[in-house]
Amino acid sequence: MNVIIHDLSTKESETLFTGLKSETKLISNNGQIKNCIGCFGCWIKTPGKCILKDNYEKMGEILSLADKVIIISRCCYGGYSPFVKNVLDRSISYLLPYFKIKQNETHHRQRYKKDLLLSVYFYGKNISKKEAEIAESLVKANSINFYVSKYNVSFLDSSEELYNIAEIQ
Amino acid sequence: MKISVINGSPKKGKSTSELMIKYISSQVGEGNDVSIYGINKGAVKYVNLKDIKNSDVLLFAFPLYVDSIPSHLLQILIELEKQKPFSKEIMVYCIINNGFFEGEQNHIAIKQMKLWCDATGLKWGQAIGVGAGEMMSFIADIPLGHGPNKNIGIAIKRLSNNLMNKKSGEDIFVSPNWPRFLWKIQASFFFWHPRARKNGLKIRHLKRKQI
Ligand SMILES: Cc1cc2nc3c(=O)[nH]c(=O)nc-3n(C[C@H](O)[C@H](O)[C@H](O)COP(=O)(O)O)c2cc1C
Repeated sequence: MNVIIHDLSTKESETLFTGLKSETKLISNNGQIKNCIGCFGCWIKTPGKCILKDNYEKMGEILSLADKVIIISRCCYGGYSPFVKNVLDRSISYLLPYFKIKQNETHHRQRYKKDLLLSVYFYGKNISKKEAEIAESLVKANSINFYVSKYNVSFLDSSEELYNIAEIQ
Repeated sequence: MKISVINGSPKKGKSTSELMIKYISSQVGEGNDVSIYGINKGAVKYVNLKDIKNSDVLLFAFPLYVDSIPSHLLQILIELEKQKPFSKEIMVYCIINNGFFEGEQNHIAIKQMKLWCDATGLKWGQAIGVGAGEMMSFIADIPLGHGPNKNIGIAIKRLSNNLMNKKSGEDIFVSPNWPRFLWKIQASFFFWHPRARKNGLKIRHLKRKQI
């Protein structure tokens, strides 16, 4: 299964994703998402699931069913937009609380024994070279933490360019 | 000097960000007008944007989430950017703490904050990246600059001095003066496991799969 996490408007996403294969799970902004409250309930109260109830509490489980994750986000200060970041902040139940040392750095251990593929499309007018570099290092760091075996990052001048991308048609 | 402090932890109760603010406040001399804003009630309106505009210094204390700025703080930064141009020169300082041992893992969030400063037209002061955030409250009774609090003590002093003089400084990354392997074991036994038991869970439940 592919999972697409995106911050496009309903109108944009309706036209862009019309031809999607049925086994794709779309995570869209319904305007109701709550932000993570830092309680760690997803690790120590309801392991694997966020305790907030707003239809975004199952991100850990959704990622466990994914082969590939596609992120479409406006680029904000060298990172994701608030909605996309909110979804990722709500996704840490995909991992275990326990630590592990990888390449001499601490990271979390896996709850699900699997690797992911990740494609990230950052869009925005005049994304500077500096901003793009930071965004790339962010995706790289996320890939280590979320056990992504292969990732790629692209920068688009506008979300219009998404129509040319095969993997989201 | 008017100092506005933004506590970017979304936690309802105590947070490491709050402790970091306490540490810096203890070093900043008397006679300054310090206002602390919490964003843990989940809405931009709790940060008085107008008030912040008149500050000499902005200090952000926040946790690292998924290698970068937490989404709720990002929203506030975007709102603040919309308030530009600012009539005064405002200096920005950050103290970012993360769960993993290495304070260096905050480097991306620091770079994001620098980009935000550029976009908003504010002046960059300095940032500290603090590793092993959860451990900080366990060692809060040990004086800053001593034992496991040695490194953070030095960092807090440097940033506070620069802040009071509105000077810029290099990024500083710290981890506790404590062995990492010990911290890693202690995290399970003193942090995750007691909390899980309190919630009525058995330790084996922590590894539960949802499918
Ligand atoms: C949703 C979420 C994501 C997190 N992501 C990271 C991370 O990528 N790297 C890290 O070192 N710690 C991460 N942490 C741990 C926090 O940075 C750490 O618990 C911090 O001490 C919390 O600070 P506070 O008490 O000020 O909120 C994350 C915590 C949460 C709840």
